[in-house]
Parts: sequence; C-alpha cells; structure tokens
Amino acid sequence: MTAPAAVVPEVTAVVPRRGVRWRPGLWAAGAFVALVLLASAFPGLLAPEAPDAADALRALQAPGGAHLFGTDANGRDVLSRVIHGARPSLLAGVGATALALVSGTLLGLLAALGGRAADEIVMRLMDVVLSLPSLLLALVVLTVTGPGPLPSVLAIALYTMPIYARLVRVQANVVRRSVYVEAAVSLGLRPSRVVLRHVLPNAFAPLVVLTTIEVGAAMVAASSLSYLGFGPKPPAPEWGAMLAAGQQYFAIAWWMAVFPGLAITATVLAITAVGRALQQRSEGRPA
Amino acid sequence: MAETAPPAVKAPVRSHRRPSRITGRAARRAAVRLATSLLVFWGALTASFFALQAIPGSTVDALLGNNDASMEVRQQIISDYGLDRPLHAQYLTYVGRALLGDLGRSYQLDQPVTGAIGAAIVPSLQLTAAGLALGLAVATALALATAHRRRAVRSISSGVELVGVSVPVFWAAILLLTLFSFRLGWFPAVGGDSVAALVLPAVAIAIPVTAVLTQVMREGLERALDEPFVLTARARGMTDAAVRLRHALRHALLPVVTLVGWLFGALLGGIVVTEKVFGRPGLGRLVVDAVVTKDLPVVLGVVICTAALYIVINIALDLFYPVIDPRLRGVS
Amino acid sequence: MFRPRRSTLAVLAAVLPLTLSACGGDGAGGAAAGGGAPVQGGTLTFAVNSEPLALDPHTSPQDVTAIFTRPILDSLVSQEKDGTIKPWLATSWEISPDQRSYTFKLRQDVKFTDGTPFDAAAVKANLDHIVDPKTKSQLAASQFGPYQDTEVVDRYTAKVNFERPHSPFLNVLSTVFFGIHSPKELAKGPAAQASNIVGSGPFLLEKYTAHQSATYRRNPDYRWAPPTSSHQGPARLDRLEIKMLVEDSVRYGALTSGQVDAILAVPPSSLRLAEADKRLKVDRVPVGTYSYFLNTTHGVFTDPKVRDAFRSSVDFKTLVDKLYFGAFTKAYSPLSPQAPGYDKGTESQWGFDAAKANRLLDEAGWTARDGEGYRTKDGKRLTLRWPILKALDRESRVTLSEQVQAEVKKVGFHVDIQNVTFNEYLVKYGKAEYDLLDYSMRADADSLRSLFDTGNITKGPRLTQNAARYSDKEVDGWFQQALASSDAKTRLELYEKVQQKVIAQSVVVPVYVQSTLVGRNAKVGGITFEPQGFPLFQTAWIGRG
Repeated sequence: MTAPAAVVPEVTAVVPRRGVRWRPGLWAAGAFVALVLLASAFPGLLAPEAPDAADALRALQAPGGAHLFGTDANGRDVLSRVIHGARPSLLAGVGATALALVSGTLLGLLAALGGRAADEIVMRLMDVVLSLPSLLLALVVLTVTGPGPLPSVLAIALYTMPIYARLVRVQANVVRRSVYVEAAVSLGLRPSRVVLRHVLPNAFAPLVVLTTIEVGAAMVAASSLSYLGFGPKPPAPEWGAMLAAGQQYFAIAWWMAVFPGLAITATVLAITAVGRALQQRSEGRPA
Repeated sequence: MAETAPPAVKAPVRSHRRPSRITGRAARRAAVRLATSLLVFWGALTASFFALQAIPGSTVDALLGNNDASMEVRQQIISDYGLDRPLHAQYLTYVGRALLGDLGRSYQLDQPVTGAIGAAIVPSLQLTAAGLALGLAVATALALATAHRRRAVRSISSGVELVGVSVPVFWAAILLLTLFSFRLGWFPAVGGDSVAALVLPAVAIAIPVTAVLTQVMREGLERALDEPFVLTARARGMTDAAVRLRHALRHALLPVVTLVGWLFGALLGGIVVTEKVFGRPGLGRLVVDAVVTKDLPVVLGVVICTAALYIVINIALDLFYPVIDPRLRGVS
Repeated sequence: MFRPRRSTLAVLAAVLPLTLSACGGDGAGGAAAGGGAPVQGGTLTFAVNSEPLALDPHTSPQDVTAIFTRPILDSLVSQEKDGTIKPWLATSWEISPDQRSYTFKLRQDVKFTDGTPFDAAAVKANLDHIVDPKTKSQLAASQFGPYQDTEVVDRYTAKVNFERPHSPFLNVLSTVFFGIHSPKELAKGPAAQASNIVGSGPFLLEKYTAHQSATYRRNPDYRWAPPTSSHQGPARLDRLEIKMLVEDSVRYGALTSGQVDAILAVPPSSLRLAEADKRLKVDRVPVGTYSYFLNTTHGVFTDPKVRDAFRSSVDFKTLVDKLYFGAFTKAYSPLSPQAPGYDKGTESQWGFDAAKANRLLDEAGWTARDGEGYRTKDGKRLTLRWPILKALDRESRVTLSEQVQAEVKKVGFHVDIQNVTFNEYLVKYGKAEYDLLDYSMRADADSLRSLFDTGNITKGPRLTQNAARYSDKEVDGWFQQALASSDAKTRLELYEKVQQKVIAQSVVVPVYVQSTLVGRNAKVGGITFEPQGFPLFQTAWIGRG
C-alpha cells in the first residue's frame, strides 16, 4: 500500500465533507507533528544515545530502565534509533511531495495554458504514469537507479506528480474561465500576467492541503520501499528498514519491530489529521 | 412499489426506448478511448524498455553471476536472448512479439515470462479479490451503521478510518501474522492454495481499502439520505434500516466506482509487501525478486500486463458507468 | 555476498560460491535421533528457504536444486562422510595408470521410473548432457574440468576419458549435480527438465509448482540404495512434499504451528525457542564457512598490515556467539572444521587483538585522525568499500556487518557498506571496485583452488571466484600438484599448507562455520544427510499422532 491517503483529497473534492471537528485529537496531532519536527531537526537533543552505538554484549534487551524501547540485535538503543529515524523518514516524505508538487504544478499549468497540443501531450504522459500502480512504478525506477534514499524519493515523486498536474490543470481551467479573469483579459491584461496574478494563487489553496496529506502517504511509501530492502545504507536508522530487521527477531524481541511501526503510524496519522483539518477550513471558503 | 420507486430505478426502463443512440455514442467514445489507451500503453512499454536498458553492466554477467560458466555457455546465452543484436532491433522484436503475446524468456527463472506471470497472477488475483471483497463488505457495513448518526459515532469512525489509512500495510501484516497464526494458531500462514491461508493477508491489504471506502460511502449515503425520495419513503412508513439498505445504498456505491483506478493501485501495492511478509507466491514477490536480480524481461512483462489491465478496467468503466448511473446518459 | 535465498539465486550462486564444489566435506551421515522406531507409510512435509531457478542439477548451481532432486536422482558413486568413495549405480571402477580414464562397471538391475533400463548408454547420455552448451551448466560442467568423452564399452561398462588428470572427479560424481536422469526424459530437451525430472531414485516427482512446492510418491521398485545409506529398499514414506517458504519467520512459524513437519534453516534467532520446545527437535549439520575476502590488488587492503589490522580489530568470537545464539561457531579457516583437509593449526594463527591492530595501522602510516575519529594518511580517510545486496540478506549478515562496522571504527576504520543492485555488484566485482566481499562456501578442500588460484582472478568478461584477487606462485604450485595427485592424503596435506598461507597473509577472514539447522517435529525421524549437508528422505519416517 503506498498512497492510501492520496485518494482522500480527490474524493473529498468531489463530495463536500460535513465538518468533523475533533478538537482534542487535533491538538494532540499538532503536538506530535511538532515533536517529530523537533526530533528530525535536533535528534541529539532527544535521543539518549548515538543511533549507531553498537555493543553486542547488550543485544536484544527488553524495554526497561536503561533502554525505554529496548535494544536491537546490535545492542543499539531502539529509542535513539527511532528518534534519529525521524529525519530520513520525514525528509523522504517532504522531499518526494515537494518534488512532485513543483513538477506537477508546472506540468499542470503547461497543460492548462499551453494550448491544446501541450495539454494532450502532458496529460497523455500523465496517463502513462498513472497506468502503472504506484509501488510497481517505484520499483521500476529503483531497478534503473539502484537502491538508496534519493532514488526512493524520485520514485515516489514520479508517481504522485500526476495527481498535482491534474489538480492544477483543473483548477487553472476553472479560474481561467471565471468571470473575473475573463474581465481582466478583456481589460487588456497580458495572459502571462493573468496567470501569475490570478490563476496561480487561486489554484494554490487546494494544493497546500493536498500536499500536507500527501506527505504522510509518501512517508508510508518510502518506508515500504525501505522495508523491501531499497532504503538507505546501513547503519542509517530508518523506520522501514528497522522494521524489516525487527521482523527477523519478532519471536524473541517484539520491540524491535513494534516501536518503529508505531512511529510511522503515529507520524502519518498526525500529519494526515492536521492536513484534513486544513482541508476543512479551506473548503469553508470559496476557491 | 413501482410507482414510488426513485428515478434512479426507473431509468433503465427508459433506456430501452432508444438503445441505438446510446450504443452509437458509447461505441464512438469507446473507439476514441481505445485509441488513446493504446497510445498510453505503447508509451508505458517504450519508456520502460529504454529505461531498463540504461542499467550499467552486462546482461550476460547478470545472467551468470561469477559462476564458472564456460565461454561456450556465455555464447549460447547471448544468442538465446538475442543480446548481440543492436538495441533498436531488440526493441522492435520485443514490441512485435509482445503484440503476439510473447514477452520473452525470464533471465532467471528458466521459463517464459508469460508463464511466470501466469503462474504468479493466480494467487495474487485470489488475494486481491479477497481483500477487495472484504474491504467492500466491511466498508458497506460501517458506512450504513454510521451515516447520519450522532457526532460521537462519526468522530470515532473517522478516527478509526484515519488510523486505517496511516498504518503501513507491512507492519499490520507482521502483527496479524504473529498474533493470529503463530501465537493463537487460528489461521495457517502457509499454503498458497488454501482458503484459510488467505484470510490474514487479505485482512492486511483490506485495512487501508476499508478505511478509504467507508469514508467515501458514508458521504454518499449521507447525501442520498438527504434526497427527497428518502423523505417519501420514510413518509410511507419504511424503517430506517430499510431506507438505508433499499434506497440510499445504491447511491453510496456510485462514487466507489470512480475509485477503481486507485483501488487497483492500492491493492497491487498492498500485495507486493504482503506477499513478502507472508512469503506467499505471487506477482508482488515475482516483481520484487526480478527487480533485485535485474530480471528485465520479467519487470517489463509485469509492467505491460498491469498497464494493460488498468487500461482495460478503465475502458470497461467508461462503457458501463452510464449503465450504472442513468443520470449520466444525457451527458455526452 | 549473501547466499541466494530466493529465486534469484543461480546468479548469485557464484558471487556466493555456495555449492562451489560439491565434493569432500563431511556431514552427519547418521540418522537423526528421535522419532521413535521407524514407521512405514505417511506423508512428510518439508519446507526449504529458497526456490530452485532451474530444476535440473546439471544446469543449476543451487543447494536447493540439490534438495529438490536428490529424492529423484541417484549417482554413479556415493561418498562417506570421511570422503571415502563407495559404489552406488556403479559397482566398481578402475582408474588408468595415466589417471586419464575411469572405467565403471554398472549395476544391471536398475531401471528408471519411466521404465527405461539403466545402462552404459544412459551414463554417456548424462555425462555428455552436462557439458552440452544447451544445458547452460553453471556448476557441474566446470567441475567436470578437462572431460573428453564417454565410451560405451559394453552394455554395463562405461569408460570416462579426460584430457589430463582430474583428481576431484569421483568426489563431484557422487553429488546430485552429477545425478543420472532417465535418458528418455533427457532427450526431450532442457524445456522438459524445467518442470519435470525423471530418475531411478527412491521417489518420483508427481507435480512441481514453481514458487510453491513439489510433491513426490514412493518408488516401490527401489532396491539400489547406496551402501552409505542406513536403510536399504524402498523409502518408508508413501509421499513427500517439499514446500518453498522463503521468509524465515513464516517458515519457522509453520513448523511450530504444525503446518509443516520439518524445515531447513531454523532462524538462529529462534534456535533457543526451538530447543526449549518439547515438540521440536533440531539437527545441526555443518555445511561450510562464511568468510570475508579482502581485495589484495586494489585499495587499502593491498597492504598486508592493514589486512591484519582489520581482522585483529574485531572480536569475531563474541560477535558470532551473541548474534547467532550458539547456532554458528567462530571460523578460523576458509574450510570448516569437519571437512577433510581442515588445518587445525589455523585456530592459533590469528585472533582479536585491538592493541596489535592499532600498532599495525600506525606502522602502515595511518597515523592521523579526522574529525570523526577515523584514521587518515596523506589526507585520505581509511575507508573500506563493502558492497552488499541487502534485499537478499540471509542469516542476519547485514546485522553482522553493521556490528563489524561499529567494532572496527574503534581502531579508526571507516566502513562504507554499499547497498547496491545486482548489476552494480557484478560491475564492482569485475572491476575490483571493492575492499571487502563476503560470501559462504561449502566445506570442501578442492574448492580452495577456486578461491585462491591465480587463474581464478577475474580477467576479461568472465567473472571468477578469487574475490581476494590473491596471487601466489607457491600456492598455485600446490594446487597443480593436488590436481595431478591421485593420493587423497597428499592432496589434503597440500590444501592444509594453502590454508596456513592464506591465513598468514590475511587474505581471507573466516567469520563463522555455517550449519544447516534442520528443525523437525519430534514425531519425524530418520532424516539423514549427505556429506554436503543435503537432507535425504529415503531413510525418513513420520510417526502417527
């Protein structure tokens, strides 16, 4: 499963949601996102140990006093690795989404404003991308590039890009045909100026929302690739890779797989919750 | 009951009066759609073919590793796979054969790609179908139970859905496997062919699907429940449950159809990791192994098959959507 | 690195010379204890940890192919665990004085399960099949060395000729990689062997489903078990099923929950749980050694002092004990201890000594340290490039490599563990762009030649197995003498000298002795093992209840 959340904004764009206000939960989600941001910016502040402090003599200790989340098969502190794992995971999510956002927006604008031929070419290319299931496409990219964090980001960005391109194209078309843009053009403003001043800002609001939610989906996707063995190189702490390593020891050391899994779930959950709250707000006002 | 049936139910009757016009329009649309789809398909094939050729290293070495194969064996392999021919010739041969349904021979598996995919696709389709059926059933039940209920009920439901979309499938799969197969022993972990062994992986891939579908269906239900025909039905004394089941549900299912493309990708992505966790044979395992060992014919073959499947599904949907939703018939 | 564990493996097999040579070695020849008295009948379900790429052992180099086909195929000769060659389908043989011809007298009562009689023509068809380029043999043909031809002297006499003496011949002939197919089936061509194998063995293949399983039925006519077998006559089991369960946790879970009766490769992390479980038994069969090979021609390891410093800086004994829970033991030689020709002297040749490691690095000129504590020389960091294929990891080797990385950091080595694709791996291998490569090999003295002979350094398009790129005239000479020698004792003495020298020069760092850990339900008995560690089911039984 790579991008379950990706569909949510599309769906909700079709079907206006009724407000689900869930205040305390939202506060908790916001606080957790802040914590993850802090952990990825300054892992050293929060982590009790270095993430690669291996010591075979203290391997596989259960969670307890000295090691809150226990130790892994190399005798490294799992809590420290989970904290240090925030950065690569978040970077993968944010990086892939940002890349997809920028490239998708440019392609969407090109399709909407570049004339019929450009529209056809761009959208057919997007169709090519969309005709391959997300994870499969990512694997094809990794076949060519080889494993690593950067190729994973590229792969994820590639298959989320069409979502943005389509959204921007639709939004741009709507805005372009709106009364005030037609008025602006009839008043003699240059089309490029109209795009910059009117189309882009108006198409942007739903994008921000979509982007927030997509970060969570991209994080899950990156951890899936990492789980399959295509992630960063050892001994880098990364949640998906930690989980894969933990699976081998699940029968005797459940904590090795449970805590990184919890970290992914909680982070994605919090980011998605915040994103949806933003979405409800943005839908409250006219696009 | 016929006189009070909602317009949606009456519509199919109307369609009988002018079947030729509808078929004609649908046929024209299908032709255009087919042409575009073939273009997309060719694009996917070509892009993948050339992208995969860009990989460093000799294919023969990938085929042999550093096994002590003699130069004669190397030569035999090179000529068997046509690796000594220029790239454009390899491409044309590949496309030509692909059109005839021949996807070449796997570098690693000692069998034709179509055979490998054919064997792998059966367990994968079983798993996908089970996951989809489970997801639809649970989502329908949840949506029916929670639509237009008290705020608390809906909040809890949204919370659960949010967790469902956020849990990585592979993690859920590991937890399910350990708990229900190894600890409790309720379901076997092995047996690509047994129904019982299908339960846990199906649950794993159904989790995100259920979460998304519940949300979509509840929104559809809530809209439908606000429609005038529902008021009429209630006024006739139908119970709430009957209204939901008989009238609103049909409307709620419509937006699900628009999600088929996403569902396809989500389920396929789900089986890739789930098959690894459960060690099940299938398309996911096939493609991950092929990626690891650079078994290009298999990677290409899977790309082509899934792209074709996706396109066929979408064309079918285009054709049948008006049948499902009569309101779309007037729209060209 | 990693020994192939899934369908990809044939390729890897070499990178990881797993089945390198199927000779020599040793193994637990005796029946596994337990299971009570032998029982007749029943079905045994066995799960293995990888998938055969090619089902024909003449083609495939994989261990798992051997496991799938040994129930079906017999060999001309058999082997005791001390390396002695015994009759099987051949009742006797003579070696010509120039050691270039072997004349085999064959059993006259053997028939294949498709009804074809076994005779000298069948032997010729099989041996010629191995070297036929269409077979694409990745192991057997190279083990055949300077094979020339086979003559059918009379119906039950076959003469095998070589261009020059090839002393490992009888050893490899005893393995299933030289197993005898029904010539009628072989004539159908390689495509037929991809899904069906027909031989004269204790079982016949009913159905082979790629990626899933193979089912077998007893051959009721089987009267020609080798003298090395503890049970003569037809197999005790009515049926046998071998399943492919690649994922460690799934395979072990299937055993504990009773979904299969026995498994190959109990995960080391589960060994203690398995041994504590009264319903289970674990058999340990030593099979080979997992080692690090240090690149002697490129990079920092061209300096013997740096090589010695590397191996002295890691307490491998503690790491292996902790990481493998006693399942595997520390290795000292590239051969494993039970292999004929193992040199016990290597055990005192080297060990953990951090002070020595630091001293050696100082002597080698790596005296400065950079900001992260790594040693440098002329501004260059002391970095070791170590390509791995993480997606094919097995036996927690990535975990072990991370531990080694942390240990050698203490004396100032920077280990760059590179997770690469398979193609990149082969490119790096061919161009010697690595400092360290890891792989495991079967215990077998003859395989030392593949690992350390100058002729096996990769040159040109063909990749060969001397990953250390070690070249030494004296060692090459010992290999030549061994090849030409018909006396087993002389050969083993030469191989002992080879071990001494490669350890003295820190060319290879043996890490652990691999054992196959077969886990089985206590009601299963009688699974025996070939000297190479492959399980045999002709002797096996399964208790009721």
